[in-house]
Amino acid sequence: MINVVRRLTGAVLVSSLLLGCSYSSRNDEQPSSVDQLRAVGAQILSSRRAGPPAKTEVTADILSKITVPVVQINPEVFGGSDFLTRATSRRDSGLGTVEVWNSTDNAQIILRNGVLVGTRGIGSDIIAADADVTIRALQAGATTSGTRRYTISDGDVTTTDYVFSCNVRNMGGERISVANQLFDTRHMREDCVGGPQQAVRLSNDYWVQPGSGLVRKSRQWVSPSAGFFEIIVIRN
Amino acid sequence: MRFPKITVLGASLLGCAAFWPVATFAQDEDTFFNLAGRPTLNFYGVPGLIDMPSAEALPDGQVAVAVSNFAGQTRTTLTFQALPRIQASFRYSGIKDAGFSSFDTYRDRSFDVRFLLNRESRYLPAVTVGLQDFAGTGIYAGEFIAATKNFSGDRIPGTIKATVGLGWGRLGSSGGIGSPFGSDRPSFTPGDTGGDFSTDQWFRGEMAPFAGLEWQINDKWGVKAEYSSDAYTLETSNGSFDRESRFNFATEYQVSERLRVGGYYLFGSEFGVNLQMQLHPNRPITNMRVPAPRPYYIRPSRRENPESYTTDWYTSQEGGSVLIRDALIPLLEAEGLTLIEVRTSTSETEVRYTNGRYGATAVSVGRVARVLARLLPDSVETFRIVPVVGNLAQSAVVFRRSDLEALEFSSDAPAALLAVTGFEGAAPTLIGSARNEALYPAYNWSIGPYLKQRYFDANEPVRFDLGVDITASFEPAPGWKLAGRVQHRLTGNLEDSETSGEFLLPRVRSNAAAYDRGGRTTVTNLYLSRQWKISPDVYARVTGGYLERMYGGISGEVLWKPVASRLALGVEANYVKQRAFDDLLGFQDYTVATGHASAYYEFKNGFTGQLDVGRYLAGDVGATVTLEREFSNGWRLGGFFTLTDVSKEEFGVGSFDKGVKLTIPASWFIGRPTKDTRSITVRPFERDGGARLSTPGRLYEQVRSGHRAGLVGNWSGVWE
Repeated sequence: MINVVRRLTGAVLVSSLLLGCSYSSRNDEQPSSVDQLRAVGAQILSSRRAGPPAKTEVTADILSKITVPVVQINPEVFGGSDFLTRATSRRDSGLGTVEVWNSTDNAQIILRNGVLVGTRGIGSDIIAADADVTIRALQAGATTSGTRRYTISDGDVTTTDYVFSCNVRNMGGERISVANQLFDTRHMREDCVGGPQQAVRLSNDYWVQPGSGLVRKSRQWVSPSAGFFEIIVIRN
Repeated sequence: MRFPKITVLGASLLGCAAFWPVATFAQDEDTFFNLAGRPTLNFYGVPGLIDMPSAEALPDGQVAVAVSNFAGQTRTTLTFQALPRIQASFRYSGIKDAGFSSFDTYRDRSFDVRFLLNRESRYLPAVTVGLQDFAGTGIYAGEFIAATKNFSGDRIPGTIKATVGLGWGRLGSSGGIGSPFGSDRPSFTPGDTGGDFSTDQWFRGEMAPFAGLEWQINDKWGVKAEYSSDAYTLETSNGSFDRESRFNFATEYQVSERLRVGGYYLFGSEFGVNLQMQLHPNRPITNMRVPAPRPYYIRPSRRENPESYTTDWYTSQEGGSVLIRDALIPLLEAEGLTLIEVRTSTSETEVRYTNGRYGATAVSVGRVARVLARLLPDSVETFRIVPVVGNLAQSAVVFRRSDLEALEFSSDAPAALLAVTGFEGAAPTLIGSARNEALYPAYNWSIGPYLKQRYFDANEPVRFDLGVDITASFEPAPGWKLAGRVQHRLTGNLEDSETSGEFLLPRVRSNAAAYDRGGRTTVTNLYLSRQWKISPDVYARVTGGYLERMYGGISGEVLWKPVASRLALGVEANYVKQRAFDDLLGFQDYTVATGHASAYYEFKNGFTGQLDVGRYLAGDVGATVTLEREFSNGWRLGGFFTLTDVSKEEFGVGSFDKGVKLTIPASWFIGRPTKDTRSITVRPFERDGGARLSTPGRLYEQVRSGHRAGLVGNWSGVWE
């Protein structure tokens, strides 16, 4: 047995170390799987050594230099922070305004009045979501119950539909600090039950500015493997 | 956003098509997929206790691989839960110093199948009936019926599983209590041809009870104890070990979501280990990250902005098409796509392109649609998007531009778009189009390592050759291709294998070893082919030259496959001559006309079936049945068998040709879009009966990725 393992391991190592190269007169080539694999391996090793990166705090100094709309994302599972810029903002036939925010590494989040209804390029994306209940509750500031639906990518260009029963309630006023600025907000919490076997419980939190209805800060669930994102509007 | 990739070792399958343990981050995924209650595996690599089976079924579609070792016996098993109630396994085992075999290590292959009769409910246990080693030479042959029930309560932590069962054959060889279905069970004969269904022995002979308990203490640790009904008659008689007790004990540890290891004390005298791995094809090792697209460009409303809908840009079909073609080429290139041709009117544009990047054709269709929405004048409302593979236009996906604009962020975007999308047959050629003039002639070459593997032959579990592989192709015009592959072997041990036994048929496949020994530098193939479409639903191919490593000649094929049809029909005819063992340009004397009529069918639940009826390489006539379960992400697992007018005796060891096939898309491991796949076929015995020619470029697989079923399986990709 050990002999077999050793041989297999040897074969794998040799084949992945040997470099392949190719040429095509058409522009349809791409790095070989072996190259991609090595890149992936290097990435994992470096992340193992360092652990998940810490998130960044925006200071007033940094804020003063930002002139365009910026949203900060702190992914809890992956760690670190990114600052996203707005790609588009539009109204469609659904509720509220849709905003698409671009990350620095070819990913996106899609917000409908501050509620996460889509992601792209993160690996297990929200392809589509129905968040009407939440959007209405956040605007009204009142306790509301209803169904939320997500179509979430399994990470292989197939999707699974997740349905949750959710209850949104007003937790009262809260003063929050974003980049050394203080904001008076209404803290809304959304408790959901659902998923396979109705066994999954999760809670999303929103800090909504009364008057404008802007969701200044939130902590929202993305998908089983991406976990929660903290989403902070730095400048809108 | 920074997203570290999740695994290291799982990816190594890319090189060797073997399974490796996989480490993952601890995540809250567990709660979603209920991993804690999953069955654990026994020494036969199937859900069970230690050496005895249990009645549990794996989750539908689950793939399990286990390697176990005790007392000089190693069993490597691949198990697949093919349907919620049906499970199939393929096992390769080695028994060291087996007295009954002339080899140092007796090696054998076996197949199991089991059926879940009753799902566990509140009061009733799960009940399963199983056949172990039902078609091999029969060393592990045994049948069982077992019942398993889970218990959990407040007094003790975790879950307790209790199993009781009755075994026959090997599983009834110790502590027998009678023979209710007859006692005329033939005994195991080493060296028997085997491979046939051993219906004459199932549930015959002595029957014996077995039982066991498994206590899953927490998410990580579990303990097991069992009362075994296997006497290990052969193994103890040759002195491999002493069986001093019927009781076995185990401790198991869940290393990661996919990997579990166990240590065992067996039969009062032996220690054993078991490495268990469970994967689900629908849960990739690394989630694929497709770079985010640009949001759709939304046209202004026609009522408020009628002038933006002007058709002034359109001078003629040619003028308009050329204009769009020139703008489109670089935009598609940026997405890894190549424009072939485009034709436009003021309101409708058809684009034909090839996809070199995305494994899922639907993603490429979505990317083309986004580019068109960005580029085309507002007056164009209909997009006809045609993916093309090797001059074969697969289908026309027809979108209304206003649907794409309206549905992009709708709450049910994939299903809503699917409801308003048309899938049409694509005409063989697009008349009056503006073509991408830079495409032909096209050259390709590549040089890289190759690893050729053979698994599970009679003497070695794994054999391989390692060397340098050079491929080149030249495409002078659409559909024409001159291609070749040269390999130079650097090292390996394939050539040491030898198929033994008597050969009563022409040696059409059994002298593989002679080819392996034939020469270090070989021309694996070298051929000219042309493929084209005869009508929107009919495809054709002609190939001539050195088609594969053992045969050269001419091959022709016609395939009928409408875009939205589950059924496809094809005919292939070949006239080939056997190549010389050195695999250069020479031939031997043997020639044969071989060919098949084929029917392909896509069942519901992702099963695909194929029936090929015709004449095989040895001149034998018969049929091959292939059944595979295909997952939308490209995973495929299945098996095939061939029955021809060759008798069992003429065929030799194995009785008839059969095997299992496994295909895994590379993107499943590396998490980036790629069209690469890794595939292995394992035949317990490759002989000369029921052998098919392996001609390059068969049509069915080329065509179907862009047909309706292939697109719909990855439909969410149009929005990625």
